[in-house]
Amino acid sequence: MRAMSKRRSVSLQFKISSIYILTNLLVMIVNIILLVGINNMSGRLDMVYQDNLHLNKLLDALGVVQDNMTDYLNAKTTDSLEDYYRSEQDYRTMVADLNEQITGVPFDRMERNIRNMSGYYLEEVGQTIEAKRGRNVEKYRIHYEKATQMYEYTAAYITNLNLEKFRSNSERYSDLLKRFKLFESTSLIAILLVMASNVCIIIRFVGTIISPLKKLAGSANEVAKGNFDIDLLPVESEDEVGVVTGAFNSMVVSISRYIERIRESMEAERALKERELLMEGHLKDARLKYLQAQINPHFLFNTLNAGAQLAMMEGADRTYEYVQKVAQFYRYNMKKSEETVTIADEIEMVDSYIYILNVRFAGDIHYEKHIDRSLLAVEMPGMILQPIVENCVNHGIHEMGGEGMISLSLYHKEGKVCISVKDNGVGMSEETIRKVMSGTYREENMAAGSNGIGMDNVISRMRLFTGSEDVMVIKSDGKDKGTEVCLYLFMKDAQSGMSAQDLDETQMADKMLGEG
Amino acid sequence: MRKENSADKRKWNSNPNTWIMLLTVVCVAATLVMAVYVLWFYRSSSHEETEQAVYDKYYMMITEDNKSSIWRSIYQGASKQALEENVYVDWLGDDLFQGYSVEDQMQIAVAAGVDGIIVTANEDERMTELVNIAAEEEIPVVTLYGDNTQSARCSFVGIGSYNLGHEYGRLALQIIREKLAGQSVTYALQEEDEEQGIEVHFEEIKIGSAERPVRVAVMVNSYAQGLDQNILCSGIQETIEQEREENLAIEMELLSVDDTNAFSVEESIRDIFMEKDIPDIIICLNELNTTCVYQAVVDYNKVGQVNILGYYDSDTIINAIDRGVIYATVAIDTEQMGKFCINALQEYHELGYTSQYFTADIRLIRKDNVEEYLEKGDLADESDE
Repeated sequence: MRAMSKRRSVSLQFKISSIYILTNLLVMIVNIILLVGINNMSGRLDMVYQDNLHLNKLLDALGVVQDNMTDYLNAKTTDSLEDYYRSEQDYRTMVADLNEQITGVPFDRMERNIRNMSGYYLEEVGQTIEAKRGRNVEKYRIHYEKATQMYEYTAAYITNLNLEKFRSNSERYSDLLKRFKLFESTSLIAILLVMASNVCIIIRFVGTIISPLKKLAGSANEVAKGNFDIDLLPVESEDEVGVVTGAFNSMVVSISRYIERIRESMEAERALKERELLMEGHLKDARLKYLQAQINPHFLFNTLNAGAQLAMMEGADRTYEYVQKVAQFYRYNMKKSEETVTIADEIEMVDSYIYILNVRFAGDIHYEKHIDRSLLAVEMPGMILQPIVENCVNHGIHEMGGEGMISLSLYHKEGKVCISVKDNGVGMSEETIRKVMSGTYREENMAAGSNGIGMDNVISRMRLFTGSEDVMVIKSDGKDKGTEVCLYLFMKDAQSGMSAQDLDETQMADKMLGEG
Repeated sequence: MRKENSADKRKWNSNPNTWIMLLTVVCVAATLVMAVYVLWFYRSSSHEETEQAVYDKYYMMITEDNKSSIWRSIYQGASKQALEENVYVDWLGDDLFQGYSVEDQMQIAVAAGVDGIIVTANEDERMTELVNIAAEEEIPVVTLYGDNTQSARCSFVGIGSYNLGHEYGRLALQIIREKLAGQSVTYALQEEDEEQGIEVHFEEIKIGSAERPVRVAVMVNSYAQGLDQNILCSGIQETIEQEREENLAIEMELLSVDDTNAFSVEESIRDIFMEKDIPDIIICLNELNTTCVYQAVVDYNKVGQVNILGYYDSDTIINAIDRGVIYATVAIDTEQMGKFCINALQEYHELGYTSQYFTADIRLIRKDNVEEYLEKGDLADESDE
């Protein structure tokens, strides 16, 4: 197991280098073997005719001895004597190298014979020289003849041996040549085999190195085509390819995760945009209707302000207050044209509206509020409560004919902020409620003084703002039993709590209502 | 079939690594085997010169010529015996020194310091001198086939010449009894008559009668005297004289064959057949003469007219006996002769003396026992192959 992991952790460089080294080593070993073989063979080829060379030298040396002896016999000079001794010594040295054993090899026996004959010859020559020096003419003549005969025999013997050896060496030479040829072809086969095995080894090793790369390339292609749904590649080795494979795997995983995330956020953004667009559309719709329905609020507002100042100068306080409230109502309409307002703003608007109505209709609408002050700062879309209250007055209370009563409550309910507007008017049939809720109910003729914003617009904007369908519930117990409209908002932490001034204003509104 | 193939292919393709691995292993193994083979190849060739046995003694055999198979046979016998005694015998004239005479070769052998010489000697003085020189150098000399009685040779190995002559004589008489008895020759005799001119008489004369004695010719070499020809001839003569019928006239003659030159033997034998009177029986005393006479008889169409007594048992001679051209031949146990030579030398080295004479056995080969020699010859041929 350890060996396995060791093997797995070798680097790519090491792997490739070892392939090269291995194959080269194989080639080198075989080449060395072949070289040694060729060297050996050529060496032996060179040695084949060595014997003949040696015998030629021997024959020459023998001739020199004979010549020197003859010279001495002819002239009897000291030079020739010296030459004779030298050559005799040379010849003896050469002869000493010859074989002296009796073996089964003919050449060995012939060498032995030549050795003995040379000894015999040299002895005769020596005796000849001695006799010559002793001036024994008779004796040296006899010895000379004998020596000459022995010279001839020995020379003939050497020549014969030389010839025989030449014949045998020639055979050996051709035999060696044949072997050499055989060796050549064997070497060729060996080299071819080495080549083949090297090719195999390289294919084998490169294959193992390349195959994870191939897989990686295939997977990368798939990914490039956009298919992230691929199997993760197995990390076969811990070399560079393994590292790349691992990195590729984690890259594929991260990319697909990232893409998923982007897709989700884009989806959310798209939904948000859509909602914003819708909301804007509705708001524009509301405003258009408002502008169609109302006179220019700026003009009205300025006019009313002028009226209020006039009333104050004239000391008509109630007129002043009335005109002031009307002006406040229109200011709100104009100022709070932004999308989001607080509940407090909306309630103030309702307060002003009811005050105006009470003045207009001589205070036949009773108005009461049950406010959880901690919720006043909660945000909500603007121009929501006023249309509801308007509906209550127009459809509930005016049609009833009696003393109207409007009750506004703000409270917590199951984690939601609930704004309830309740009247004691004629009430609504189930069908009407259903129609209003589904937005199919249309008023045939808008009541005078209505700002023209219908319930369907209110509901839509509430839905868009909260992102929830359950934003409004209309309850009615039946004919002449009043109607309650409940709005639901989600509470946000930052919106809890309310400034003291707001509170005071509300209390003041309450007081005013009480006085009214 | 196709399916199977594709299945196979898939199998291979499914695991190419295994396949390549296998190939790699095979190739590497083959390379190693090759390398070992190459190593072995030149290692073995460098050790071709094996150690040779070393022999105790070295003898040399010297013969008149080295062509006749008789010498070869003797040499083989000697060599075989020598190897048993851890001695090596060389036949000096075997392939070297073909131009050298026996005397030259004797000198070479002496100079070469051999441990013993086997030589086909003669009674020549020069030979005596050479044998004595060898003896001075303490080289024992065994004379083979021909002796030199005056010299200091240690032993003689040969054939009893007188016995051989006796055998030849008896064979000649056998031929006369079997073939020539009762045969007659028709002569045309011319007589000159004054009146009638030339008259021709036909006369039938019986062979062996006083008018036409049986002619027995002994073919002797004029120069080389291998066998003791004189003793042999007298052996023949004595046997014939003693054993012939009284009324049978036999005429002995010596046919001298010129063997001084290289090819003169054959020429002079042909000359004999050109002459008018061809002998009834020709006794040959060596292998070459036998072969030549046999060929001449065949060539001159004298088969049945001339009877040959041969010498030695070469294949040619044996075949001729089988065909009935040669009546009989005397075979010497050549191997025994070779063996005797070695034994004599060995004995001399061991004891300082040896028997003076060794006589080899002789056998007669005739038509009735030629079969076994034919078979032997065939066997020998086969073993040669």
